[in-house]
Amino acid sequence: MNFRDVMIRLEKKNPGEKEFLQAVREVLESIEKVYGQHPQFDSVSLVDRITEPDRTIIFKVPWQDDTGKIQVNRGYHVEFNAALGPYKGGLRFHPDVNLSIMKFLAFEQTFKNALTGLSMGGGEGGSDFEPKGKSNHEVLRFCQSFMDELYRHIGPVTDIPGSDMGVGSREIGYLFGHYKRLVNRFEGVFTGKGTNWGGSWIRKEATGYGLAYIVRKYLEEHQDNIKGKKVLISGSGNVALYAAEKVLQLGGKVLTFSDTNGYIYDPNGIDLAFIKEIKEMNRGRIREYLDKYPKTTFSENRSDVWKVKGDIALPCATENELDLDAANALIKNGCRLIAEGANMPTTPEATEFLLQQKAGFIPGKAANAGGVAVSGLEMSQNSMKLMWNREEIDARLHRIMVDIHDTCVKYGKERDGYINYVTGANVAAFLKVAQAMTDQGIM
Amino acid sequence: MNVNKIMTDLEKRNPGEVEYLQAIHEVLASIEAVYNQNPQFEKSGIIERIVEPDRVLTFKIPWLDDQGNVQVNRGYRIQFNNALGPYKGGLRFHPSVNLSILKFLGFEQIFKNSLTTLPMGGGKGGSDFQPKGKSNAEIMRFCQAYMLELWKIIGPETDVPAGDIGVGGREIGFLFGMYKKLTHQYTGVLTGKGLAWGGSLVRPEATGYGVVYFAQEMMATRKETLKEKKVAVSGFGNVAWGAVKKLNQLGAKVITLSGPDGHIVDEEGISGNKIDYMLELRASNEDIVEPYAQRFKSAVFVSNKRPWEVPCDIAIPCATQNELDNTDAQMLIKNNCSCVCEGANMPCTPEAVETLQQKGLLFAPGKAANAGGVAVSGLEMTQNAMKLHWPADEVDARLHQIMGAIHESCVHYGKRQDGYVDYVKGANIAGFLKVANAMLDQGVV
Repeated sequence: MNFRDVMIRLEKKNPGEKEFLQAVREVLESIEKVYGQHPQFDSVSLVDRITEPDRTIIFKVPWQDDTGKIQVNRGYHVEFNAALGPYKGGLRFHPDVNLSIMKFLAFEQTFKNALTGLSMGGGEGGSDFEPKGKSNHEVLRFCQSFMDELYRHIGPVTDIPGSDMGVGSREIGYLFGHYKRLVNRFEGVFTGKGTNWGGSWIRKEATGYGLAYIVRKYLEEHQDNIKGKKVLISGSGNVALYAAEKVLQLGGKVLTFSDTNGYIYDPNGIDLAFIKEIKEMNRGRIREYLDKYPKTTFSENRSDVWKVKGDIALPCATENELDLDAANALIKNGCRLIAEGANMPTTPEATEFLLQQKAGFIPGKAANAGGVAVSGLEMSQNSMKLMWNREEIDARLHRIMVDIHDTCVKYGKERDGYINYVTGANVAAFLKVAQAMTDQGIM
Repeated sequence: MNVNKIMTDLEKRNPGEVEYLQAIHEVLASIEAVYNQNPQFEKSGIIERIVEPDRVLTFKIPWLDDQGNVQVNRGYRIQFNNALGPYKGGLRFHPSVNLSILKFLGFEQIFKNSLTTLPMGGGKGGSDFQPKGKSNAEIMRFCQAYMLELWKIIGPETDVPAGDIGVGGREIGFLFGMYKKLTHQYTGVLTGKGLAWGGSLVRPEATGYGVVYFAQEMMATRKETLKEKKVAVSGFGNVAWGAVKKLNQLGAKVITLSGPDGHIVDEEGISGNKIDYMLELRASNEDIVEPYAQRFKSAVFVSNKRPWEVPCDIAIPCATQNELDNTDAQMLIKNNCSCVCEGANMPCTPEAVETLQQKGLLFAPGKAANAGGVAVSGLEMTQNAMKLHWPADEVDARLHQIMGAIHESCVHYGKRQDGYVDYVKGANIAGFLKVANAMLDQGVV
């Protein structure tokens, strides 16, 4: 494979799709060497096939708003790769949604799902619909119109969407209800369902728990343990809260949380139960923590959370929240591991810097794969028409995260002993998908 | 309807899709007045819904070339609108194929199909595959790989593709064979099939015949017939061939043909065995018209010039896009030509059309005048559905009747107060209203 030629071809074929091209470039860069070591891949044009989605469907979504006016949105569904299992990925409802973003997410999902060890291919879908400011009834009508088209492309052994931005349990409920009505079958065609109608336990906690498990395993791998470690967490959503919960259970200490208004820092460790009360019960702001603990530090400059001294940093808030300055500050303060809970919270420059410094860095596609892993377990439970209890799922999640970690070590260990988890994750996932594609012939 | 606002929204939503945006702009401009006359359209969001394809499928097509290399192309199918019938439109295999071009063609197809009076919606598809230079076996493997995805979304009551650039009888055959194998059904899922296996008689001549019938109807509005009229035809391919045949049957005299190399003038008229010779010329695959003048001494070859400088009563451009520009139009007017009828797709430049209409000539746009091709495709669907074939004269009679009906719709919606018929406007409005009213009737889908 000539990496540069491939990129030129792809740019010509996918003009203007910058998110997609960027994602492809990053993966190809890290697998170029190993691709060259497997001539059987090039002989079946594997790189051209793995970068082209199996199919994409774009469709019209007309619906009536509460004033009686007809609105028209555009729906997308990208079925990227089914070498390892049925297509699996999220649905995103957000005005920024376009084909490039959908393809980027589906491409990434292919590899993340491969890492979980479960039988899941890669996909993604969504719409440029803005759920904010819409009534419940409008969201319902939109979801039903969206499903009027989607139902013919999905199925429990074909394509199983899950949730992503703008698609939570309410939307999954509306979508699932309409699917059932159209096909007259009650089956596991969605993940992220309510726990009393087919959803799995631990789904909400999965990403955060998984993140804590891979962190613990990392420390063990480096002859250390999580007991007493000071952990910096950004964000205060599901990922942040449940990463914190598991860190605390495992004996670590959580010093920070943040939201869009700023961050809080308590050197003695934060009272998680109170944070949950603010965020989950009251839907409040993180600064309300000061009401009960007035001596806590609060700052509106949320990126300064990375200037706090800690052993481990878990960015769990949003894209590009940890830049080069932040990475510098962390390293200077003796932080030894950055593990991504959010999707791409670390900027490319910061990532490059951390890898150069040979700092511990676990990219999101490995570190936050717990979420989709439990989605995979939800599929298993739906297929066998039996639900596992919390302990069983937690144990399986733990096992999966340990395996992901060990896979990264296997493919990412460098000569000097440094483990490059980015390379490890990319190479391991790529090889698994590529080998399956080769085995299954030209398709 | 606020055309500017709609266009701004569309440009934001479909960045860089030049051809598609252009096609929509043209249709919107000509239907704005009738749209605003019916408040139901605005209330039901007809414009917002009609400009967005029902669905667009793109897919990966991996196939093995003769050297054993794996090639990867991208396939497309646009299912634009099925208010009037199953999606219907051609497949194009050409390296220039992209989403914008196919959406443009699919959008236009909705209204052209609507005009035919037959139950056909609008669609389009294809691939960036280059058929030139490929072996027969490669074409077959590609067509099979293409159908391996397409079969899931087409069907005789769902979506019925046909040929277009790069997709002829051979490709339709390969595609049909694979569809049959995958579905285990012998149905009319494609048109343009071979005569022995489901194709319709008169399909090859249909576009040309239809153009001439349309010209005949236009002349009749001025109490004229085609008899003894001198006709300049451009091109020498399928459309031109059919047009020349029908013109001769109706007593007109065809005096020109053209190719990329220039044109020939045959003042004795292109008739009899000269018409058959056109097929030979085409089969030679050299894409030049000069050999005609070597073969028939009555003809003169004029190098690198268009036939519009030859004095004629009627001009029928059947070659390619933009082959008749403003200068050509002025030349035709000077020579007392009274009628220009488009056989090709958009052969006249926008400026030429404006000039011709200003000077009061009869002018028929391709979307009305060359709809005979897709009309007979529709008749092929009918014959397949009833598992019976009509004889040639029956198909021809139905085609004639359809072209008459299209002409009547254009007159109905295009007649100005001064009596002049604006066929462009008439065709756009007639095509649009039928689709829009069907969408109103069928609710928000």
